[in-house]
Amino acid sequence: MSTQDSTALSQASEKDAQPSALSRFLTATEIDTRMLGMVAALFAVWCAFDIYSGILRPNDGLFGGAFLTPRNLWTLLVQTSSIAVMSTGMVLIIIMRHIDLSIGSMLSLVAVAGAVLQVYIMAPAIGVGHPVIWIVAIIACLVLGTLIGALNGYLTAYAQIPAFIVTLGGLIAFSGVAFLLAKGVTVAPMDKTFKLIGGGVPASWLGPFWSWVLAIAACALIVFAVINGRSQRKRFKFPLRPVWAEVTLAAIGSAAVVATTWVITSYPWPFGLIRRYALENNITIPAGVENRDGDAICMAGEKIVRCTEGLIYYTGYAVPVLVALGVGAAMTFVAGRTRFGRYVYSIGGNPEAAELSGINTKMMTVKVFALMGFLVGISAVISSARLDAATNALGQLNELFVIAAAVIGGTSLAGGIGTIYGALLGALMMQSIQSGMALLNLPAAFQNIVVGTVLVFAVFVDQFYRRRVK
Amino acid sequence: MKKMTLALMGAAMLTASFAGTAFAAGKTIAVSWKTFQEERWKIDEAAIKGAVEAAGDTYLSTDAQGSAQKQAADIEGLISQKPDVILVVAFDSDAILPSIQAISDAGIQSIAYDVQFEDPNALYITFDNVGVGRIIAREVSKVKPEGRYAFIKGDKGDPNATFLFQGMMEVLKPSIDSGKIENVCETFTDGWKPDNAQKNMEQCLTSTDNKVDAVLSENDGMASGVVAALEAQGMSGIPVGGQDGDLAAINRVALGTQTVSVWKNATNLGETAAAAAIALANGTAMDAIKGVGKFSGGKKGVEMNSILLEPTPITKDNIGVAIDAGHITKAQACAGVAAGTVAACN
Repeated sequence: MSTQDSTALSQASEKDAQPSALSRFLTATEIDTRMLGMVAALFAVWCAFDIYSGILRPNDGLFGGAFLTPRNLWTLLVQTSSIAVMSTGMVLIIIMRHIDLSIGSMLSLVAVAGAVLQVYIMAPAIGVGHPVIWIVAIIACLVLGTLIGALNGYLTAYAQIPAFIVTLGGLIAFSGVAFLLAKGVTVAPMDKTFKLIGGGVPASWLGPFWSWVLAIAACALIVFAVINGRSQRKRFKFPLRPVWAEVTLAAIGSAAVVATTWVITSYPWPFGLIRRYALENNITIPAGVENRDGDAICMAGEKIVRCTEGLIYYTGYAVPVLVALGVGAAMTFVAGRTRFGRYVYSIGGNPEAAELSGINTKMMTVKVFALMGFLVGISAVISSARLDAATNALGQLNELFVIAAAVIGGTSLAGGIGTIYGALLGALMMQSIQSGMALLNLPAAFQNIVVGTVLVFAVFVDQFYRRRVK
Repeated sequence: MKKMTLALMGAAMLTASFAGTAFAAGKTIAVSWKTFQEERWKIDEAAIKGAVEAAGDTYLSTDAQGSAQKQAADIEGLISQKPDVILVVAFDSDAILPSIQAISDAGIQSIAYDVQFEDPNALYITFDNVGVGRIIAREVSKVKPEGRYAFIKGDKGDPNATFLFQGMMEVLKPSIDSGKIENVCETFTDGWKPDNAQKNMEQCLTSTDNKVDAVLSENDGMASGVVAALEAQGMSGIPVGGQDGDLAAINRVALGTQTVSVWKNATNLGETAAAAAIALANGTAMDAIKGVGKFSGGKKGVEMNSILLEPTPITKDNIGVAIDAGHITKAQACAGVAAGTVAACN
């Protein structure tokens, strides 16, 4: 197999043979084949879980299982968001040939600090539910995270302690601080508005209308990006993609957005929540015939029952998913379109050359670690809001999943190479495997084995691929 | 100082020779703690130290900081100070055995405090962990005698996770056999972590299409994850059981989102252990101490003298117990509770 492939490759490089239609398509559209492989692997994993869970317990998924249902995919995105947010920062850290092992403990520390601030300090002082509480709590989490990150960066850059050691120290120390802050107890419950960021209550769901508005805006943005990219290339006399390739790219991007939105908006509110919402807001429930498979609610005489045609609401995008998508978009922009991003890649590619060309590499290190800390702050808000509680156990060992997500997503530990979208896909892959196995009710030990194996296997495939491309 | 210790030791030896006489004071009780990482051990220590010092005896302690090696060295150090009784909270219940042997060889009595190690010469004092599981299951099945149950178990590496589940099954077995109760999900939770429990519960609800009537969680931290997952499906209020007497969990019990939190009153355990240690120091035979029975439920089935304390289930009806014991303030327990729904909050 591999010898055939390499001969095919050498033939192509000699320009004698006509390249296949697929490879012409890939060259023209400049699609990252690595990403294509990851997306394919992700779909394969999803289908496998759906088929297998369908065999165990039939459900209404694409292949008769419980995995490829709007509900599970919706939950999957919410479950991924915290790790996904942090993985985008980890990519930049690893590109710069550093590592941050402290983020899991940092997350517990920031989450507990935010919770102590709102539950023990602010709520008694200005009253439970005061609108200042959630704003101050979120700002405090973000600032604290950024400061701790900057401290990590400072020690790495200026005190010249290897990042591995600085953050290993942080991993051990921060969890101790988190423990002392709350004396080891679980701090709960969070502020009502703060909780919205966790995506666990109806008020934190966008609903179909705004989800579609957002989707249309995203599609417009994709088209704009394609057109803008083309005019930029013209301006700097870079080789242009053929027009059909540009159109295809815009179409694929928009189709992905529309498909995701369609899945997300077809997950109805849980039955109990529709009923409660209708009763609390005095909404008239239409009369109908009881059907226990339905997702809507009806009045059958005096009783509220489940039915197929009646009062129904759909969830749409949840706040944490929007936060993660927003962070992903912003970080893609930062990494690819700003001077900051270019510096990160050039330092990672060759630190000495970068320094000699006048980049303040030490300050850049502090900034990148501070950015990582800021993202940990966001994740701390998401995780504690989602759990509606904060403990020193929250977030522990998250660093391993975040690093794994970045690495599965193609970030090279040798530095200089890595993409934000790769890390996001990596995070989704890790969470898919975990959620899928939980869905199958497999023991946790088995889950760890599979996740570890996938990590090593992904890097193996990646190395193999890179060698071949060279 | 040294002179005083010598004098004390002299007095101790003297009283030892008059075993069982009225000379109670002047003994030395030592504790080898495995860690102070969790808040509860400080409560245990306060109880033991208080009881020992109130009896006029001396309290010594070491902290192994979560290391089996350091604990072995700690115990050597304690033995050289010649206490009358050493209480050991073992970090590793197998690695500790040579140290326990050394304690016996030095003619000192040992107590396995809360964590079992299987040495027939030691007295094992703990809460009945199988009993905790039994109580969680009993309280929840009182509210929901029939239906589909989900089980959120602790870390697979912790024997307590299995003991707890064993206790739950003892209570539920008849109902499961007769088909009244169905076990629909059963998962271990890595590191007893609440966020993992939340994800497991979400997947359980997805796979069963929300057809779950009650959830038995093996601790309160995980129960917080379970309740968050239930809330997101509009199902909060179905019976949920947990244990530890977490402050947040007691608040959930008052709010009605959790049915029971089985509370192991650490003060109670510490005081019982201190009383037993003082009795041993004064020469009371191990099996003559109040409450001692035989226990052989460990991994190797070694028969040991043991005191198994019955934990307290905290439900809506008796939240006052935890408030009165100073475990939680009324404000913490009753935060957000609607007036008139819980007696202890009025």
